[in-house]
Amino acid sequence: MNKLEAKITQIQQSGAILLVDAEVDGQVFSALLIESATNPEWLQIGHSVNLVFKETEVSLAKNLAGTISIRNKMVCTVISINKGELLSKIEMKFNNYTIGSLITTRAVNALELIVNEEIIAMVKSNEISLMC
Amino acid sequence: MENNIITIDIEKMMFTANGKLNLVVNTHINIGELVALFGQSGAGKTTLLRILSGLIKPDKGIVKFGETVWFDSSKGINISPKERNISFMFQDYALFPNMTVEENILFAQPKKSREDALELLAVFGLSEFSKRKPSGLSGGQKQRVALARALARKPQLLLLDEPLSALDADMRVALQNEIYQAHKLLGATTIMVSHDLNEVFRLASHVLCIEKGLIGRVGTPDEVFSDSSVSGKVQITGQIARIEKQDTINIVTVISGSNQIIKVIAFDNDMENLQVGDSVLVFTKAFNPIISKLM
Repeated sequence: MNKLEAKITQIQQSGAILLVDAEVDGQVFSALLIESATNPEWLQIGHSVNLVFKETEVSLAKNLAGTISIRNKMVCTVISINKGELLSKIEMKFNNYTIGSLITTRAVNALELIVNEEIIAMVKSNEISLMC
Repeated sequence: MENNIITIDIEKMMFTANGKLNLVVNTHINIGELVALFGQSGAGKTTLLRILSGLIKPDKGIVKFGETVWFDSSKGINISPKERNISFMFQDYALFPNMTVEENILFAQPKKSREDALELLAVFGLSEFSKRKPSGLSGGQKQRVALARALARKPQLLLLDEPLSALDADMRVALQNEIYQAHKLLGATTIMVSHDLNEVFRLASHVLCIEKGLIGRVGTPDEVFSDSSVSGKVQITGQIARIEKQDTINIVTVISGSNQIIKVIAFDNDMENLQVGDSVLVFTKAFNPIISKLM
């Protein structure tokens, strides 16, 4: 899984649904959560948490133009491309983190991905979990 | 308040297969509840049951049932097992082989009553076997008799040490239901040692986790076993049964407590400290699973 260290900066709530903003190296990420029966004590503004998301939830884009609904975007550099028959794992550098994305090998070919190039990795808010 | 709780504040040095381990327990149990003791082998669960029953004497401390002192090392009090009005049931049935089912029940009764014995046998669906000897019964039937016999004493405290672990899955579920019904019917405070999460969730209203001789997490099964360090609302615990490397990923098969088979995609960095047999938490977000009615 991918893990980024973050600090909670804002919590917006509507009923049992929470939209949590957290900063990673000054960049704001958002995570959509459902409230627990007893919210854990770490779920508060100012607390440090890990943002956790699975490699399969990371979309990749090159030369992205226009607007897009996905809130969490990371400008990355491709470190490695491990091509399998159907699935490929891409490792990327985002600030000091290494993050991974699993996409189809067809998609890798269509993107014409190469090592060392810049790419945008994106994750929807509802795919990010928080871990203390 | 003290009237309604079992107070346990004891220490006992245990000599386990892995060396010495000091059992230190300071907790209380509400009278009338069905409580599960959960933890790994050698953690001290059975020792604690035996201390409550009076079969093992703690090195020091106090055990009280309501306001009745069962053990107090500072005052030299140690009430005998017989006077504590408890029943103890183990995973091996320990029925008297030379007695019939009915005689086994009658033997356990403090006041002999054939009528009560037959009623108890009826509650456990054992009426037709009342004249049989234990050798003529199946494992599940023997364990039912053992449970009926444990209750025939009308104990104020029922101690169950992994009572169902020798039974197959279907028989376990049937007996779990009977333990649950018997507890509701008779209201005896019940403390049950179990390794089985499903059993704990099904039966217990309160869980005490024992880890290396110490009480760990305590609370309802939900409170104890839901991992609040993760925001994911879909959480399943289980054991890794298989890891298969496929293409650029690993497919991990996890068997959950309720014998559900789950497959999870994992990456090499996820697998660094995982191997077959490990207990794991599988979680996802409330937003991701799709729900549909079973036909």
